[in-house]
Amino acid sequence: MSASTETGSPAGKTWKSKEEFLGCVILTDWILLVILFAVLLGSFHIHYMLLAGDWDFWIDFKDRRMWPTVAPIVAMCFAAASQSFFWTRFRLPIGATTVVLALLVGEWINRYDNFWGWTFFPINLVFPSALIPMGFWLDIVLMISGSWLITAVVGGLGWGLLFYPINWPVLAQYHQAAEIDGVLLTLADLIGFNYVRTGTPEYIRMVERGTLRTFGKDVVPVAAFFSGFISMLVYFLWWNMGKWFSTTKYLEIEEV
Amino acid sequence: MKSLNIQSMAKCVTARAVRLWIFGLAVAGAITTLPAATPAAAHGERSQQAFLRMRTLNWYDVKWSKTELNVNDEMELTGKVHVFSGWPQAVAKPGESFLNVGEPGPVLIRKSAYVGEVPVPRTFSMDVGKDYEYKIVLKARRQGRYHVHVQINVKDGGPIVGPGQWITIKGDMKDFTNPVTLLEGSTIDLETYGITWTYIYHFFWMAAAAAWILYWFMTKGIIVRYWQVKAGKGAELIGQDEKRIGAITLAAVLLAVVVFYAAANKEFPRTLPMQAGLLTGISPIDEPRSTVAVQFKGGSYTVPGRELRIRVKVANNGKEPVRLGEFTSAGLRFLNPEVFTTRPDFPDYLLADRGLSVSDPNPIAPGETRDLEVIVQDARFDIERLSDLAYDTDSQFGGLLFFFSPSGERQKAEVGGPVIPRFQAGAAL
Repeated sequence: MSASTETGSPAGKTWKSKEEFLGCVILTDWILLVILFAVLLGSFHIHYMLLAGDWDFWIDFKDRRMWPTVAPIVAMCFAAASQSFFWTRFRLPIGATTVVLALLVGEWINRYDNFWGWTFFPINLVFPSALIPMGFWLDIVLMISGSWLITAVVGGLGWGLLFYPINWPVLAQYHQAAEIDGVLLTLADLIGFNYVRTGTPEYIRMVERGTLRTFGKDVVPVAAFFSGFISMLVYFLWWNMGKWFSTTKYLEIEEV
Repeated sequence: MKSLNIQSMAKCVTARAVRLWIFGLAVAGAITTLPAATPAAAHGERSQQAFLRMRTLNWYDVKWSKTELNVNDEMELTGKVHVFSGWPQAVAKPGESFLNVGEPGPVLIRKSAYVGEVPVPRTFSMDVGKDYEYKIVLKARRQGRYHVHVQINVKDGGPIVGPGQWITIKGDMKDFTNPVTLLEGSTIDLETYGITWTYIYHFFWMAAAAAWILYWFMTKGIIVRYWQVKAGKGAELIGQDEKRIGAITLAAVLLAVVVFYAAANKEFPRTLPMQAGLLTGISPIDEPRSTVAVQFKGGSYTVPGRELRIRVKVANNGKEPVRLGEFTSAGLRFLNPEVFTTRPDFPDYLLADRGLSVSDPNPIAPGETRDLEVIVQDARFDIERLSDLAYDTDSQFGGLLFFFSPSGERQKAEVGGPVIPRFQAGAAL
């Protein structure tokens, strides 16, 4: 890591040498990075599990309409807030990527240890939604445009539009069909049926419910556009939420 | 001097408090960890309110085809369920129901499920007052000893758990397979299908994200960037070079997304949306109308004695004399030992083989109508928390009475209604 004192940091009496000062800065950077990552992991994980919940837990909830609508919208909250923090305070184009990586690290630990390790649900039932390319998209749109307004509009729309194509490479294999006892099921349906979940009956699945029938089978683009549109609005709100919390004014300055 | 004494006392007290805390934590740790852990014996069905279990679904003829299996062996869980006519107002009607299994995780997988002759991988509809026959085919997956219940989840009503049986599974889960034939003809093992690719795909993107984060972190870190932004030099941190790197990265990411998407479509050209929907019109059991009619005339429940006492008027409209042999409710079976001379094969914790008696044990003759007092008394009533009926907001009981003729014919009659709790000295609400 390269660090410099070009802004004139007070490397005077407190440190014995410039090297010691730089070493201290680098060490503090690493500590900050680890702490930030852990805090984002924990808080975003709770947020996402509460709001996306079953849509993200189970393969037989990942449908064409509800999942691509709900999941990106609720994921946008922390992505926007994190960008606000990393960009306005540090000009770091990593806010969204960091937060979705933190979420996925937390989710994979949870899915592997809890869902598979404790209750034996196979991973192909419980793998999380992929979000990383959306994080890249949002961060790079912000970096290139330098504008949170453009990021909200362009980035937010792309965030919603990218979600389903990003997940399809894994999902497609589970949308192959099988005939089970004369009933047509996809493998995703069948996994959900085979691997018993006592507290998750079939009727709580929100599989393409609603009145949006005009577009025939092409429901994903419509859901994705709607999700992108709402993601724009969520971005505005949560960018400011992030800005609001990106301050040290809650701490007594004497104690710092 | 006084101040010094106080300080030394404070030190002493603090040290003692710390020692006490450590000792207390050690004791608590020993108490909670040293005794041998026992497996959970139930899935919370006892915690469901008594009126709910007694007056929603009455399970009968429940059978587990095996209680010992090897991994990959199959067994059947079969039985019948009566949808109680006096379904409580507090619980949603079973218009949307799902035939389920109560077990600790998918230790047995559900290969197929039927209500009547109809396969029910989906939600189905049941009518109040009718009886349905079900069959669940289970395949052993994980070694161990598990309590396995039949269960029906009712939308807006919650899970209603039926009787459970201990099932022992031998072998090793590593040997478990779940072959499925796809519509296009090939066979896959659903237990492991697609998992490796899922890992590769996810960890590829996560590694890319980690590289992106570390790249920016390693260039100028966090603190130095903060100083520069604070000094008004934030714009210098993201110049044309940085934007170029960003644009190239974004192009690579989007290209990868397109390539992965196209590859998936090429590999799996025929995919379907997930299937869901309500199965309606499932026929209840086609059985002749019962020749025994039962009219509830009142009842009481003695809380300390665990005794349900009900008065009924029984009319035998059949051609043979009948005797009351069984009362079943909430999965429990209370048998009249004068009728059941041999103990049926049923989980012991739910079978009170001497738990039923009647005021007049003589058979009810064809065409006769008789007032009977039926006494249901057994500790299981309390152990399974049906005695909590006295504390429910709707103190009505429900269940099925089974009458038997000399030829072995069985007549079923639903019974239910309000009961008055009787508290002896010392008992309190």
